[in-house]
Amino acid sequence: MSTTPVDMAKGSDAPPPPITPPPVTPAPAPAKLRRRSRSAVARSAAGDRWTIVIIGLVLLAAGVLVALLSYGVFGAARAGRPLLDPMIVDTLRAQPLLARIVAIVAGVVLALLGLVWASNSVRPERHPDLLIDGGPDTSIVVSSAAAADAVASQAGGLPGVGRARARLVGAENAPALRVTLWLADDADVRNILRRLDEQVLTTARESLGLAALPVAVRLELDRSQPTTRVA
Amino acid sequence: MRVLLRILAPLLGLALAAAGVLFVIEVVAAWVRPDATVGLVVPWPDWRATLENLTWADNPVPTIAITVAVVGLLLVMLGLTARRSDVHLDAPSPEIAVTTAPRVLARLVGTRVRATDDVAAATVTASARKVTVSAQSWNDSTPELRGTVASRVDDLLAELPLRRRPRVSVSLQERKGPR
Repeated sequence: MSTTPVDMAKGSDAPPPPITPPPVTPAPAPAKLRRRSRSAVARSAAGDRWTIVIIGLVLLAAGVLVALLSYGVFGAARAGRPLLDPMIVDTLRAQPLLARIVAIVAGVVLALLGLVWASNSVRPERHPDLLIDGGPDTSIVVSSAAAADAVASQAGGLPGVGRARARLVGAENAPALRVTLWLADDADVRNILRRLDEQVLTTARESLGLAALPVAVRLELDRSQPTTRVA
Repeated sequence: MRVLLRILAPLLGLALAAAGVLFVIEVVAAWVRPDATVGLVVPWPDWRATLENLTWADNPVPTIAITVAVVGLLLVMLGLTARRSDVHLDAPSPEIAVTTAPRVLARLVGTRVRATDDVAAATVTASARKVTVSAQSWNDSTPELRGTVASRVDDLLAELPLRRRPRVSVSLQERKGPR
């Protein structure tokens, strides 16, 4: 099957293919949608947090055990042995090839784990493009920025919303939308959320042919207007 | 805390990777140069001599162990406390998750409290569980002012579709001097 990608953001000089309503794929279960929308609230730091907790626990356990050993809790004879115990050195010298291979493998594993962790920590968040099935021989690619900007401009027009920003986040096969709304101090939050769902998000889902689009909405307050002082 | 986590995570990852690379380099170098008396990058023969002559009870060992344990404890606390402190709101449909920051809630409450008659100033701290208002009243204010402030905060919280209604605590001090 040949496909014709169309970048909706930049447009094209070629005549557009005949537009047929995109087929709507069945929506995932509500629990799954809820989970996806919650995870779209912000970039997850769970991996970093748990790695740091594990490293901290290892350091804590090692430090406590060595301190107890140093203060003779496990016996004065053990506390009096050298840090590099001759027993361990003799054991390693008995199997030099095995010891070297184990040491090299441990070093490589440590280096790889460190590099993977560091690269995951600094990697920019993914903003997936939307791939829409436009028919038997056409697929339409809506760029992440185009879809997000369309939603943001519509959301920014809601009464009580000063400005809005949207980002598509998540995997390509399971995208989600992160919308940040800067509200006026006296905004009716309930009404804004209802109108966002009914007017903006429903339109976005229909036009993109998505049965479901998990959305994380972040509410902020717009910069307050400076009050004039009257002398 | 999340900023610290974001800074520390790649640094620790790079430190682990560097340690692994140095370890591999030194093991391979010692393997191919069995007669070498100095390390290629790291002076590990000197370290080895020190470790052979130092017992667990000798002086720097317990101090270093306690320092390592404290650093470990700090890392554990960092990892456990670097959670998002979002305030969750009810969404109109299940595929929408609505959150806001505690400072937004605090600013809304502060604006409402400062608009109350007889309130000279107010500071507000907010979390998903508790809103604490510390207001200053003019010295000629009515005794019911505390209840008025609390009810205004309650009204505001009722207007917001908060998933969990926070407890409200209001304290009032009297500001000295003329209005």
